[in-house]
Amino acid sequence: MKKERVVAVILAGGVGKRLSLLTRYRAKPAVPFAGRYRIIDFTLTNCIRSGIDEVYVLTQYIARSLVKHIGVGKPWDLDRLKGGMRVLHPHLGYRAVDWYRGTADALYQNRSLIRRLEADRILILSGDHVYRMDYRELLDFHAQSGKPACLGVVKVPKRLTAEFGIATVDNEGNITKFEEKPAKSDGRLASMGIYIFDKKFLLSLLKLLEAKHNDLDFGKHVVPYLVGRREIAAFHFKGYWLDIGTVKSYYRASLELLSEKSRLRLDSRNGPVLTVPDDSPPTVIAESGSVENSLVCNGCIISGFVSNSILSPGVRIDKGATVNNSIIFDDCVIESGAILENVIVDKAVRIGKGAIVGLGNPKIPNNLQPGYLDSGITLIGKRTIVPSNVKIGTNCLVSGPRGGGAIPKKDIEDGGSYLEEGGA
Amino acid sequence: MKTLALILAGGTGDELTVLTRQRAKSALPFGGRYRVIDFCLSNCVHSGISDIAILAQYSPVSLIEHIGTGRPWDLDRRSGGIAILQPSHNGQAATWYLGTADALYQNMDLIVSWKSETILVLSGDQVYVMDYRPFIEDHLRRGCDVTIVTKEVPASQRSRFGMVLCNKDGLVTSFKEKPTSSDYKMASLGIYLFRRSFLLEALSEERVDIVFDILMPAIERRAVAAYPFSGYWEDIGSIASYYRASLQLLERRSLITDPDWPIFTSESNLPPARCTAEARISNSIIADGCNIAGIVRDSIIFPGVTVEKGAVVEKSIVFPHSRIGSCAFVGRSILDKYVSVGSGARVGEAGRTDKQAGRLAKIAVVGRKARIAARAELDCGSEVEPHAIVGRKR
Repeated sequence: MKKERVVAVILAGGVGKRLSLLTRYRAKPAVPFAGRYRIIDFTLTNCIRSGIDEVYVLTQYIARSLVKHIGVGKPWDLDRLKGGMRVLHPHLGYRAVDWYRGTADALYQNRSLIRRLEADRILILSGDHVYRMDYRELLDFHAQSGKPACLGVVKVPKRLTAEFGIATVDNEGNITKFEEKPAKSDGRLASMGIYIFDKKFLLSLLKLLEAKHNDLDFGKHVVPYLVGRREIAAFHFKGYWLDIGTVKSYYRASLELLSEKSRLRLDSRNGPVLTVPDDSPPTVIAESGSVENSLVCNGCIISGFVSNSILSPGVRIDKGATVNNSIIFDDCVIESGAILENVIVDKAVRIGKGAIVGLGNPKIPNNLQPGYLDSGITLIGKRTIVPSNVKIGTNCLVSGPRGGGAIPKKDIEDGGSYLEEGGA
Repeated sequence: MKTLALILAGGTGDELTVLTRQRAKSALPFGGRYRVIDFCLSNCVHSGISDIAILAQYSPVSLIEHIGTGRPWDLDRRSGGIAILQPSHNGQAATWYLGTADALYQNMDLIVSWKSETILVLSGDQVYVMDYRPFIEDHLRRGCDVTIVTKEVPASQRSRFGMVLCNKDGLVTSFKEKPTSSDYKMASLGIYLFRRSFLLEALSEERVDIVFDILMPAIERRAVAAYPFSGYWEDIGSIASYYRASLQLLERRSLITDPDWPIFTSESNLPPARCTAEARISNSIIADGCNIAGIVRDSIIFPGVTVEKGAVVEKSIVFPHSRIGSCAFVGRSILDKYVSVGSGARVGEAGRTDKQAGRLAKIAVVGRKARIAARAELDCGSEVEPHAIVGRKR
């Protein structure tokens, strides 16, 4: 019997605007998470662990760091003779081709490729989510449902329903109602942005709907259309699933990993989450250093105090420096006597001696992005140098010149911002 | 000019006792995430040498697994790259490698086919960082048949080495292998650079050992030059030297943390190390994948190790995926991979000097997958065989 083939398409073009400085130079799927991972690692790991070995990654927004990270797909065993991983960026061609204008439009623009795929079903995924899932359960459910399409849904807290597409599902798994980002809803089952389609059905559906909407989007157009025709089933995923929408949710989800009750297992019986190998030496904790309730990657040199924090590879914490409730990305240096509290520090930042960052009144929201930064988190952008003894308050946005460099030696009050020209 | 590196990794490492029961000496874990052989492999790669053969014989499985296709060292190449050469049957007869020179002789076809003008012979069980390029340049400038690397060693250690005397031109005039005592200050480090034509001529069925059968005759002809090396160098010959070299890393961490000379090793897929609120860690090296809830002092902890609440690990080396149960104590010990120390068990002595004996307590060594029962006690200097089970004393 011919084996059924499933090909995955990962939508990785997300801007992730609400992540503020974290997505200034990178797409959302390339945002670092849990020390050594990027968000897309979770989806790629899920694919290969579910036996899917042909994966197309659709990029659009600042793809450089994402493309560099995923390379030829080697860490996920996706560098293959046949199948494997390919990155599809919007391109020019003989016929007019445009930027991807919606999630489903991105697939429509690649329809000739999809048509050629040796696949019975297409699994459409998002590169924006953190979760560990065996897609085979979803595929089996879809096969048994008898419907041409199936949507993955997950229960979310009531306060978050306005951020998602909310499905109402009957006992047999049929979606009876679907509301995209409803202001108010009784439903609690959110779309995970995971869709499975019979290939031929998908192609004719895209052709049909693209004629009506040239910004064709799965949540806005495709799913409501299918719900109306009762052609879509819902698979209820019961595990941990996280959409990192905002700086606040990024910060909270990260620090939740420190709890022993954390539902996200980075290393489970199914094997660890896969990511790009790291050549760093093991971490050195000096005589003067201490680390409590934290996640620490390889390559760190810790001579100061670290608590309730996450350190990515290659971070240096000098003697007498204090880091608490903070997330420090790769290759940062926190010089002696500096104090960091509730700070997210992007890559290769240097915090000068005696600088104090993140202490202050959390009730004063940020002056530029009050909606994103109003809960007492300060963000320091990539390659910024904070001069010694500078005080930066809370809810601050700070970023030096794009190529890296120092900000002026001047204190920044709570809710204040310093963003060098040439970005943001 | 191309250089072929031949790494001798066949040593049995008898003095390493339970640590080398199931692995070659050069595959011994070292420095929190490496194997000893990573140091000379990384030296080769950083020195621009990409044609490398490892001559293995004793328990090579963990070495073979570690090297894989050579990818971590960028040695998975279309031409050249890395090969592991074990003794094989040639159609008429088969013998094990009888000695270092015999191992080269048995692989002469390969040395011929690799077409390198210079052949660098290294030992896989040494920890050091060395740029071989100036050494190779020096060898080519002199045009000697052989150049050997030498290093000054204190009188107390000279009986472990081949001791060398040089004339003012840097040519070796005398060589004494492991003398009981010696006035010669310079030791040969077992790092040799051969001119291809000389080596191919010198190798033969009767010549078994590099030092006695190839080096000594060449020294008599004044055809061997010495190249002094002054950096850190340690061979991993015994439990004591392994333990010393490991803990020295805590002071000499630049050996592994130099960003211009990273030590390459096989990839790790483990999550970041997790330190709980109870963890107290100082002066230690901790690799990824660890779960630390206890006290760790002056120790080297490899990937995936668990130290449970209330446990104390002091002046010890813990290999990957071992578990130290709650309130257990491990002091001046080496625990191999997948060792389990039960709750409240006691392994080895604390770092204090044993007053009665007037010297430091001996190191306890626990073999791979051994299990120490809860509340069992293991004295300093104990050796526990792999897979052994140590129960409570009655």
